[in-house]
Order: sequence, then C-alpha cells, then structure tokens
Amino acid sequence: MKGPIASGAILLVGMFIFIKFLLPLFTAPLPASLIYLYLALTFSGIMLYGTMSASSLESLMGPFFRFLSGEGQSGAGKMARLAVLVLFPLLVGWQTYTSLAPSDLPPGENRTIHPAPPGEFVGLANPYQNNEANINMGKGLYAAYCSPCHGPNYDGKGVAAPGFNPPPANFADPGTIAQLQESYLFWRIKKGGVGLPVEGMPWKSAMPRWEEELPDEFIWKIIMGEYDGAHQSPRTWEEEE
Amino acid sequence: MLNRLRFLSTVIFVGIFGILCFTIGFASEPPPADEAAGSVSVRLYQVEGSLPADDPNSSQWDSVPESEFKLAPQVHWKDRIQEVTVKSVKVKGLHDGQNLAILVEYEDPTEDPKDAAAVEFMVGDKKAHFAHGQPMLQVEGGPVNIWFWKKENGKALDMSAKGFKTLTTQEKQDVKATGAWEGGSWKVVFSRALKTEDEQDVQIEPGEWRSIAFAFWDGVVVDGLVKEKGSQKAVSSWWSIRAEPSADNSIFGWVIFGLALAAGFELVVVRKLRKGQSA
Repeated sequence: MKGPIASGAILLVGMFIFIKFLLPLFTAPLPASLIYLYLALTFSGIMLYGTMSASSLESLMGPFFRFLSGEGQSGAGKMARLAVLVLFPLLVGWQTYTSLAPSDLPPGENRTIHPAPPGEFVGLANPYQNNEANINMGKGLYAAYCSPCHGPNYDGKGVAAPGFNPPPANFADPGTIAQLQESYLFWRIKKGGVGLPVEGMPWKSAMPRWEEELPDEFIWKIIMGEYDGAHQSPRTWEEEE
Repeated sequence: MLNRLRFLSTVIFVGIFGILCFTIGFASEPPPADEAAGSVSVRLYQVEGSLPADDPNSSQWDSVPESEFKLAPQVHWKDRIQEVTVKSVKVKGLHDGQNLAILVEYEDPTEDPKDAAAVEFMVGDKKAHFAHGQPMLQVEGGPVNIWFWKKENGKALDMSAKGFKTLTTQEKQDVKATGAWEGGSWKVVFSRALKTEDEQDVQIEPGEWRSIAFAFWDGVVVDGLVKEKGSQKAVSSWWSIRAEPSADNSIFGWVIFGLALAAGFELVVVRKLRKGQSA
C-alpha cells in the first residue's frame, strides 16, 4: 500500500521505534512526555507536508473525508464508520471521567536524589591516603555501620532495605557515587538525611547523622571502602576539564 | 472545492490537536515506578452508619480494601536494631464524616504484654521528620502526633513529639484503640474524631492528604529481656492518607459536557463533508 497515509503512518511508527527502543542503546531512555512531544511534532510535520498542495491534500485527507461522510458506504464500511462516530465521544467522556475522578494516588513528589551540597562541603579532598590499609579499614566500618541498609554488596539491598522509602542508595549503580565527588559523600554521611535541603525531602530519609557517632577519619575511610567495594571511582575536577 | 477541503483539514487538524492537548492537560501522573512493591497511601472509605471503631474482628472490615506497607528495623538513631519481627503491615480505614477508624494488621507469632503498635501523623503545614519530628538542618520542621497502643495497658495514648526525648502524653486524650491477637497476628483498631479542638492533634479533612507512618514492637521476652522496646522497633517512613471526600456529582456534568462537545464536533465535520461532496 502506497500513498501519503501509509507513508505518514510508517514514519510515525518508525519514529516511535527509533525514540523508544533504538535511542536508549546510545543514551539515557527518554521520558514518556518527551516521546509524546516528538511524536506530536512528527505528526504536525506530516500534516503540514500533506496539506501543501491540492493534490497532496486530497490524497492525504480524501480517504478520511470519504470514510467520515459515509457517502456510498455499505456493509462493513458503514459499521466501521458508525463505530468510530460512537466511540470517539465515549473516549472523550471516559478520558474526562478518569482525569477528574478522585484518585488513590497522592500528589506526585519530585524528590531530588542528589541535591546541591552546602558550600563548605564543596571540593574537600580526602585527607587519607588511598592505600590498602585505609581501604580495608573503610570496608570494615562500612560492614558495621552501612551494610545493614546499603547491603554487603554495596547494591542498596541490605537486610533493612525493603522497608525504606526512599530506598537506600545503590552504590554499584553508575548513577550514584560514580557521579559524585568524595566531598559530596562526606557531607551526606556526616549530616545524614536530616542534612538534606528541602528538595531532598529530609523528612523521609532514615540515613543517620553519622557525625554524632563517627569521627571524620572513619567517614573518609568509609568513602574509600565504598568506592573500592562498589568498583566505582569518585568524580574529580580533573576528569571534567 | 479546494478551499472547502483546506477548511475541513484545518478543522480536523485543530480538533485533533485540541483533543491531544485536552488529554495531556488532564492526564494524571503515572503511578510511581515502585508502586508494585507496595501501597503508597491509605484510603479512609466513607460509610453510612456506625464504624467498627472498637472491634478489630468486625465483619464490617472484611469488605474494606487494604493497603500494605513494608517495615524496616529502626536504624536512624541509637539504640538501633537490625532484625525485627514485624516485616509488613496491612492497613484499612473507614470514616463516617465525623469519626475515623484505622485497622492495622500484622504478623507476630506470640501474644505478649509488651507488644505495641503506633501510628504517627504530621501535624500542621510544616513537614516533620518521620523519626519523632526530629529537627532538620536546612528545613524548619513541625511536630508529630503519635497514637500509641500497648497490649498490657489495653488502651491508646494520644502523644506528641518534636525531636528526640520530647515524646509526651497529651493532656487531652482523644484516641481509642483495641487490639485482638489470634493465630499469630495482631489486629489493632485506632479510632478518633476526624477533627479535634486540640492543636497538637492531626486534623483529618476529607479530601485532603496527610502523612502517616507506622511502628511496631514485638514484646516477646528472650533470655530475660524484652526483644523490642523503645527505639528498637519496626518502622515505616512517611506514606499518605486521605479520608474519602463525599461524592462529587459535578464530575458527571463535565463528562456530559465532554461527550456533547465531541459529538457536536463530529456533527459539524460530517455535515461539512457531506455538503462538500454534494457540491
């Protein structure tokens, strides 16, 4: 089947497959709202192209108009037209109902997972040498203080993890500590959940304020142990330049 | 003929675009990705007649849909505990426009005098930390209202806190609770008026969201010591709760309006098309 309708449909479907499935092979998956926007733009483009001349307009819209007008239709065509004419208002009515009916879902909360740290915690360097002894000490402290929630495998799957909302961070995920500097982790461990700014929703976090129980030395060594155990490297200024 | 086609194309194009905008504008947010892992809210269903406010085993509870929340050992501050008995809680809620009843059901293999359950609410507009409303460093927090039930007392305590070591029993006691243990699980029903005169209390306004958290203690005695007490307990973080508002019939008005608008749009398009073809 050839013609502008088939071409337009193929273009739309192709665009969807490209954005939804192929693009994520190279970059992060796109949010649904952005996919929707791109498809709407593609659709607009098809419509603009199809209405540029009288003949293209007729070949794009003619079949739709003839179908909707119902002229000369019989049998299956007539039934299909009737179904479309009945279903369309019902769809709009249903959409209106579902969007206005009271929902069990509470209002969405956009929690920022890695909010900006206070100025005094930006760019601090780990004062302890990155050697085996310090890393092993850090891993030992991690096992004692952190692993019940963040997990012995640094993957956020500790024995206590399932009950938390938000869940404990998964350090093995390239989206967590690998994106952060050591000074950021120092802030998060030292001040805990209650140290977060409002966009981090501190009222929900179970992360202890470790400065009340652990000296800074322990915290810096835990950070070393965490990166080593999770097979990640801290983000540094040098790499960014 | 061409002008008519152009006009109709424009009408249909604008119509489709309008409906797309309408759909996007009203589309509700998709449910959170982790919803499959458990519930995110408690719904207090509105009922006519009496509430099963002092009977955890009332058959009235059977038909109420439940929410389920996983629990974690309390590790936020000392004294911590790393393994707790109560792993999750099922919650049901009802209200009659004046009073509410919340049923919590959870597994605990033994019935012990020190077994206890608590629900916690944020009070007022300020966010409160789920751990007894402890102070936050960058956010000014508010207080919490805690409804605490213990088997050996057989009644509820209406309590307030705003930070560690500030937990106090309120002068005005507004909460009732009844617990029943059977076959390895507790059912505890808490009840109170939706709204009270006490500013230390959470005020439940039907239709508005509030924050709720849970805590449970297994009071079994192991080697001469009570297994869970004080800060050693199973806890949840904040979840949402809402008393169902009275039915809003204006929704159906909007549905009819939407139906009529769509049908009218169709009518105009089809008439124009027919005129065009016969021209």
